[in-house]
Parts: sequence; C-alpha cells; structure tokens
Amino acid sequence: MTEILLRADAKTPVARSALGGIKWRGLLPYVFIVPPVLYLAVFMFYPLGRQIWLSFTNTRLMNPNRSEFTGLNNYERLFADPEFYMALQVTVIYSALAVILGVTVGMIAALALNRPFPGRAIVRAVLLFGWACPNVAASLVWLWMFNERSGVLNTIVTGIGLDRVAWLTTTQMALPSILLVTVWQVAPFVMLVMLAALQSVPEEVKEAARVDNADSLSVFRAVTLPHVMPTLQLVSLLVAVWSIRRFDIIYLLTGGGPIGSTSTLIVKLRQVAFENYDLGLASAYGVIGLILALTVAVIHALFTRHRLKRSQQ
Amino acid sequence: MTILTRALHALLILALVVFGGFPIYWMAVTALSLNSELYNTGQVWWPQIGNLPMLMADLANVPLVRWLANTGIVAVGTTVLSLTLGALAGYALSRFRFHGKGVIGFLLFMTQVVPEALILVPLYAMFISLGLLNSLGGLILANVGFSLPVAAFIIKGAIDAVPYEIEEAATIDNCPRFGVLTLIILPIIAPSLAAAAVISFFAGWNEYLFAATFLMDNTQWPASVGLASFIGQYETPLSAVMGAALIFSLPAVVFFLIIQRKIVAGITSGAVKG
Repeated sequence: MTEILLRADAKTPVARSALGGIKWRGLLPYVFIVPPVLYLAVFMFYPLGRQIWLSFTNTRLMNPNRSEFTGLNNYERLFADPEFYMALQVTVIYSALAVILGVTVGMIAALALNRPFPGRAIVRAVLLFGWACPNVAASLVWLWMFNERSGVLNTIVTGIGLDRVAWLTTTQMALPSILLVTVWQVAPFVMLVMLAALQSVPEEVKEAARVDNADSLSVFRAVTLPHVMPTLQLVSLLVAVWSIRRFDIIYLLTGGGPIGSTSTLIVKLRQVAFENYDLGLASAYGVIGLILALTVAVIHALFTRHRLKRSQQ
Repeated sequence: MTILTRALHALLILALVVFGGFPIYWMAVTALSLNSELYNTGQVWWPQIGNLPMLMADLANVPLVRWLANTGIVAVGTTVLSLTLGALAGYALSRFRFHGKGVIGFLLFMTQVVPEALILVPLYAMFISLGLLNSLGGLILANVGFSLPVAAFIIKGAIDAVPYEIEEAATIDNCPRFGVLTLIILPIIAPSLAAAAVISFFAGWNEYLFAATFLMDNTQWPASVGLASFIGQYETPLSAVMGAALIFSLPAVVFFLIIQRKIVAGITSGAVKG
C-alpha cells in the first residue's frame, strides 16, 4: 500500500509529464495537502499520541485530570499479568486463523467463480453478502443462529443426530464460532480481489503451458499462482490488520468471554478502560495491539521490497 | 471438463452460496415468522409473506425511522467531509512533488492500522471540552478520520490515470488550479468518486463503537446502536429485530454490490472497508 503510494513519484509517466507544468517549490501543493493533514492531526494523530502518552501515566477514567507520569509501570504490570498473555495469545491465534481460513475460502471461491457458468453473476452477488452486511446486523443474525435452544445451527446439528452445541458460551467453541462469522465477512472480500487478479493472468501464457502438455494443476502452480502472489500477500496483510483491529462482532457476540477466551487485545482495552477505569493499563494494551498490527505491515513491506529487488535482477 | 469435475464444481458453488447467503436469508425468514414458531413449535424454513402485516405492526413500535434518520445524517456528513478533504489530498499526492510527501503517504496508511478503540478515550475527552459529546457532529468528525484516507487513496489512484495534458491546456487558459480540480478532474473521475462516496457513506452507516460511546441520549442513537440495544433485551419480538436488521442492511448490501469492481481497483492503492 504505502510502497505503491511512494513509488508513484516522478517515475510514473503521468508525474513525469507533470514535471513541466508545476513549480515544486511553490506553496501551491500545501494549499491542497494542509487541510486534510491538519484534520488528521487533530482527530486522529493527536488522540493517538495522547493515548500512547496515557500508557505511561496512572490516569483513571473517573478523575482523568489527576494523573502522574509513571514511566514503564503500566507495561511492567502488563507483562506480569497472565490476562495480558491470554489476550495476546487470543489475538495472535484469532488473526492467524482468520488469515489462513479467510484467504483459503476466499481463494477457493475466486477459483470456482473464475470459469463461466450459468448464473455466475447472481452467485457472485450472493457470495458478497457477508462482506456488505453491517457488523451490528451480522452480529444480531449470527447470535440468533447460534442460539443454543432455538437457533438454526443447533436445529441442524440435532437433526443429524448430534448433541446441541453451546456455540458462544464455552471456552472451546467461542473462538471457532467467532472465526466462522469472521470468515463469512472476510472471505467475500478476498474472493472479490483475487477474482480480479485471476482475470488479469495473461491467457497466452496459460495457453503456452497447456500446449506444452502441462496439466491444470501445474499451470496453476507455475503460471497463475506466481502472477497473483503479490495480490494474495496484500489481501493477507489487510485481513491480518483488520483482525487485530476487529472489535464490533467480537464484542457483540461474546463480549470477550467466556473467561477471556475471545478477548483480543482491543476487546480487553475497552474492558480495562470502561469496566476497571484503568486508562493507563488500557492504553498499554492498545499500544501492544498497535505494535502487533504495525509489525505485520512492516513484514509485508519487507516481502514486497524483496520481490521488487528480485524482479529487477 | 469431465462430468465428475463439473459435478464437484457445482457442489462447491452450492456450498459457497449456502454459506454466503444463508444468514441474510435467515434474517428474512425470521422476520416473517411468528414468535411461537421461533421458540416453541420449531422454525419454519421458508419466508411466510402472509406475516408481513404483522411484521409491519411490530416494527411500528420500534423507533426505526428516527434511528435511520440519525444514521443518515452521520453517513451523509461523513461522506461530504471525507470526499472534500480526500479530493484535496488525492490531488496533491497525485500531481505534486513536495517536501514531506512520503511521510504524509505513510501517515495516511497508518490510519488504517489504528484500531478505533485506541483513540476512543482521548476523542471522548476532547469532545467533552469542545461540547461535541452526545452530538451527531462529533460522531461525524471521528468517523472521517478513518474514511478520509481511504477516499484520498481512491481519488489519488483515479487522478493518476488522467493524462496531465488535459490540465495543462486548462492552466494555459489561466484557469486557477483549484478550478482545474473541481471543474476538469473531478468530473472525469466521477465513477471513482462515487465508489469513494459509497465507502465513506457506509463507514458512517455501519459505525458502532464511537456511536455507542459518544451518544448517551437515545434520541440521538443511529440504527447501529439502536439495533445493538436489542441484544439481551426480550420485549421486542425477534421477528421485528430481524426485520429492522434487514432494513438496516439492505442499502449497504445493494450499494456495495453496485460498486464492487471499483473497490477492487481502489484496493491496489489503499486499504478499504474493514
């Protein structure tokens, strides 16, 4: 993302032709860029900086003005707290599985839709429902479907002769159930993006491979997969970052429970801030979540740079 | 393709359609069911259109119109502000070279990594002192922080594809640069603007966490908070809850289906709807 943005400097043909027309050193660019940047400074980066600062203080929600700088104290408390390691573990497991399952299901759907069949446009539209449905509405209907006594999932489960499942209320099932909803929301987006990437694979190259008697699996491995790999990595990055950030559906479906089994760092942040009134510690949770998301983004950037270098050789 | 792979392909498509479409279908079926069916006699599997008048009567007891009006105000405000500021940023990032451009691009990207919950408390404190707490205006200001960068990325990508010669001609004719943007560039990239508008609109439409935190007064509630208040509450019939959820979802689903291809084009230059 950023690298795409940064690369689009003077090297692109558009910008090169622009070289003739615009005085770079004038104030003109700033007339355009300052209002949005100022806006973000006030409503995004100031609060963000303030929150990071709070993580070094003992601020309480009830009397926010009486706080003092306590250095790394909150982080020491965090690293001594088993609940933090639990939340970190839940976040990592949840995000990793969201990427693996969401991208796999989305990629399979994209491959299935990449060949023409009657009704493809309708199928494609239906598959996008989960992505387009608002979080709150999605949470309401899934809560009802997960309902232990009357929910449709247990109707199906008991119908095939199995015992009722406590989808959201046991530590074993809560995270898998949340993941099911996550895949329902995320896989359509993966499908949408991968479908576009698959359709940009040059047909001649695939044709040439087929002439050389390659079977469809080797064509996929040798031609299609390398071609769509950058997009696949980008989509995986987005899904990972979104999973680390995700709040609404987890909060509405389980509230982080039972016994913290679905409490990611971000859900925990809200709980510590608004139920324990401990803003300092809550901020420390948030900072760790942010670092986690940034780490994923940096790893992706390194991968991309590595690939760009290789392709230039 | 052999018969077997054809059959497997059809089976796979069927499984995906059931998984993807069932929850929305179930909203509709539940909305058109009687409460006695839902909890006692067992669920009916098909929508019963005959129950529509009953559903309408139940929905009349839910302040859905007021919620949706609030949601509409938030969504429109978020869209107007995101697009205005996003167009300025997108144009500058596409057409100019200037000091700090790389940093600004990085900061825009950063906003997509920041969890909403992380800036919740400082925004809350700020809105108290600005008198923006408990107002839809404050909610809009908070939402735009996340949707402006997305709009900027999409608009930048679209302007990149417009040949610069078009602008040069206008600049020679002494058209001021701001006029170039509004009169020449924006009409050309109208489809991308529409995509950015839809994304911003439904970011505001769907937003829950800020709204649930900043608005105490339930006359100000948007539909996301109103609908979430049904969780754990048993006075409203479930059919009405699902009916309201369906009405709340339909505009989002319809518009996202319309602009889906545009979003794919936007994804290569920025992060979109999360």
